[in-house]
Amino acid sequence: MASLSIQNVKKSYGAIEVLKGIDLDLEDGEFLVLLGPSGCGKSTLLNMIAGLDTITDGEILIDQNVVNDVHPKDRDIAMVFQSYALYPNMSVARNIGFGLEMRKVTKEDREKRVDEAARMLQIDHLSDRKPAQLSGGQRQRVAMGRALVRDPEIFLFDEPLSNLDAKLRVEMRTEIKKLHQRLGTTMVYVTHDQIEAMTLASRIAILREGEVQQFASPQEVYEKPANMYVAGFVGSPPMNFVPAAVVSEDGKLGVSIERTANGNRSSVFLALPDDRQDVGDWIGRDVILGIRPETLTHRSDAEISLNKGLQAFDCQVEVLEPTGADTLTYIELGGREVIARVNPYNTTAPGETMAFMVDMGKASLFDPKTELRI
Amino acid sequence: MADLSALPGGKSPWQSAARFGLYALLLIFAAYYILPLIVVLSTSLKDLDEIRNGTLLSLPAEINFDAWGYAWNEACIGVSCTGLKPYFWNSVAMTIPAVLISTILGALTGYSLTKFKFKGANLIFAMILFGCFIPFQVVLLPMAQSLGYLRIANTVPGLVLVHIVYGLPFTVLFFRNYYVNIPDDLIKAATIDGAGFFMIFWRIMLPLSPPIIVVTIIWQFTQIWNDFLFGASFTTGGGQPVTVALNNLVNTTTGVKRYNVDMAAALITAAPTLVVYVLAGRYFVRGLTAGSVKG
Repeated sequence: MASLSIQNVKKSYGAIEVLKGIDLDLEDGEFLVLLGPSGCGKSTLLNMIAGLDTITDGEILIDQNVVNDVHPKDRDIAMVFQSYALYPNMSVARNIGFGLEMRKVTKEDREKRVDEAARMLQIDHLSDRKPAQLSGGQRQRVAMGRALVRDPEIFLFDEPLSNLDAKLRVEMRTEIKKLHQRLGTTMVYVTHDQIEAMTLASRIAILREGEVQQFASPQEVYEKPANMYVAGFVGSPPMNFVPAAVVSEDGKLGVSIERTANGNRSSVFLALPDDRQDVGDWIGRDVILGIRPETLTHRSDAEISLNKGLQAFDCQVEVLEPTGADTLTYIELGGREVIARVNPYNTTAPGETMAFMVDMGKASLFDPKTELRI
Repeated sequence: MADLSALPGGKSPWQSAARFGLYALLLIFAAYYILPLIVVLSTSLKDLDEIRNGTLLSLPAEINFDAWGYAWNEACIGVSCTGLKPYFWNSVAMTIPAVLISTILGALTGYSLTKFKFKGANLIFAMILFGCFIPFQVVLLPMAQSLGYLRIANTVPGLVLVHIVYGLPFTVLFFRNYYVNIPDDLIKAATIDGAGFFMIFWRIMLPLSPPIIVVTIIWQFTQIWNDFLFGASFTTGGGQPVTVALNNLVNTTTGVKRYNVDMAAALITAAPTLVVYVLAGRYFVRGLTAGSVKG
């Protein structure tokens, strides 16, 4: 187990800057997920932590020791690759034990540890097989066994689940989570799948074009996204962005939004909760209102009386998409398509006007120019 | 791939006729190609009287290996009447080390060029590749000088060196193109596991290489064994490889022209490459197409 500290790390290939000064600090035993689209530099960063790629500028510290010039094999890390990278010519047992063999661990000790790791991952019955004779899920387990057996300070995962089918991916995700809970080892995990990031991470770092957009716990990333990019990347269906204007009505601060109801186009005023008085400077200016689909649903007066943040309004329904648990209801607010999660038994037919309520206490406001959270 | 001819509704009389015509044509071509070998083989098994009295295409009345023994042990090559035997062993002593060394060096170079990429690796590969297109004749004079400086002119080790140098561009090309398809993640994983340059080569790359090793060995063996120009240019007398000796054997006439001995000698000279093809030919085809189709 070890802490990991990444300090102003940069990477450039010639004139192209791939990483533009990354700062991340990780406590011992944390599970960091590097989340971002392809080409954002997350795999490069992981390779740099592993020592497989050189660091252009900045420092990486493992357990307070700068490892910039330490060879990968001496960093006490283990890595699981997207392609599994199993040695095709070696049996499962040899694959798992190769790292120990290279470190001159005695044969006896090696066999014991390989057996232990194989049993932990339930692949002990496969130890004589070659990788080509294994299924995708089994290969994935062998790749994890190879990392596990070394008992490293830090585990590195490079999109380990993206080659598996959907069902297996969910299973292995839970498996990795259990592994982390059992071992308590620091882990760094690269993925472009926001659900994997949300479910696994103790903290998520969202990268975009070589810059960290937000570094926070999954819940904070979800509820208080630092900018519109993060807000749109995390969550499915994604956060709704509604152009709005900050106004003051009857002494209350709120936003005004254009919408169509009962065949008429008009503005509706949605009051902001009292703790958002900081938005006072924005009166008369345009903002982007960010609403998660589950905070926008059919009107319930009982709930409104309990939660002051809930604001009601009417709007015309455009399209219904039943998913079973909820029906995704498409409406138009401020000229943008917006998704609401509505109980299937409270829906209204498309073209009709329906009563909605939105939890303004959970809404986000963004500056339309900088796209940053207000 | 599915058998297209087995698809329903695919058989008509016209198609059967076309099939028949195709096979007939193929048979004619096959006969055309095999005929010289049949003539050489049957002539080598006849005695001189039979050759003089019979026709070229007639089969031998009785199988007679005298000409083979004569070609191996007694035939005169220039002034020394030793048969092909010593020259044959010269060729063996030249081909085996040259094939092995050029294959090993090719594998190592191909591995470094793909998996331990350094700045300019592609440029170096392009320059090595250029070696494939240099005609033999161009290097004759500089090579002769080099062999002189190294004091290995007119020796078998000298020929070994020439063939290693000339074979390297091809072996590097083969191995480089094979290794480029092996995923880099394997090397990364092994590096983290603590294996170094040679350990990765020995434990991971080589065990994956048999198909391309077979291709390289067959290619190099055929090229080096069949070489005439370097042998004729850089050796004289006792140091000559069997191909040069065969030429001299056929050109040395003491009275009667022994066609059966010439034919037997030609077959002895060609035998090793034929054997290699028969034993490993299917790996050759398999290896050449390896990686072209996934899975």
